[in-house]
Amino acid sequence: MRSADIAVAVFLGISVVSTGICCSALLLFRDLFQRLHYLSVVTTVSTFTLLVAVVIKEGAGQATMKAILSFIVLLLINAVLSHATARAARVREFGQWTPTPEEHIEGAEDVKPGK
Amino acid sequence: MNLWMIASIGFLMCMIPCGIAAFRGSPMERLLGLEMGGIVVTMFLLVMAEALGRPNFYDIGLTMALLAFGGGLVFTRFLERWL
Repeated sequence: MRSADIAVAVFLGISVVSTGICCSALLLFRDLFQRLHYLSVVTTVSTFTLLVAVVIKEGAGQATMKAILSFIVLLLINAVLSHATARAARVREFGQWTPTPEEHIEGAEDVKPGK
Repeated sequence: MNLWMIASIGFLMCMIPCGIAAFRGSPMERLLGLEMGGIVVTMFLLVMAEALGRPNFYDIGLTMALLAFGGGLVFTRFLERWL
């Protein structure tokens, strides 16, 4: 077994194991906002290690370019989706996504209430 | 069965917790299961493309990533305002 094959196996293993841990965390944590963090771990750690495995296996080529593109797309859409989900959860819970008068969040005094 | 095929089975196993999360809890918690499932399926499709030795199949994973984003965002907006 070549060293490149070992590296591919290690990176693939990290990708699968980290994805498994994060998916299990969806069931273990009760709070929605805690669960939301694990989406980011999957789209950063897991997809990046998967990308590294593909790059090592394929080298420069069509597969590598498409894997890089998929990684960038996943990275960008996760940021938007996480924000949208957290915002929707706050709107459902409090009726607005900005801090409520009862909440005293340091540095957020100037934020005006609104939807 | 090569290494990539084994990894794809691992990703398929990861869909089980996502499915369970999508079937219980509040609507927002279910949505998280759907969003996580979309990401996992995208990675599964990428690994399958490599396992089958067909670089053209990477397009399916890329398409899945874009569709999962659209679907998740539509559900998020509906849950925020109307449901």
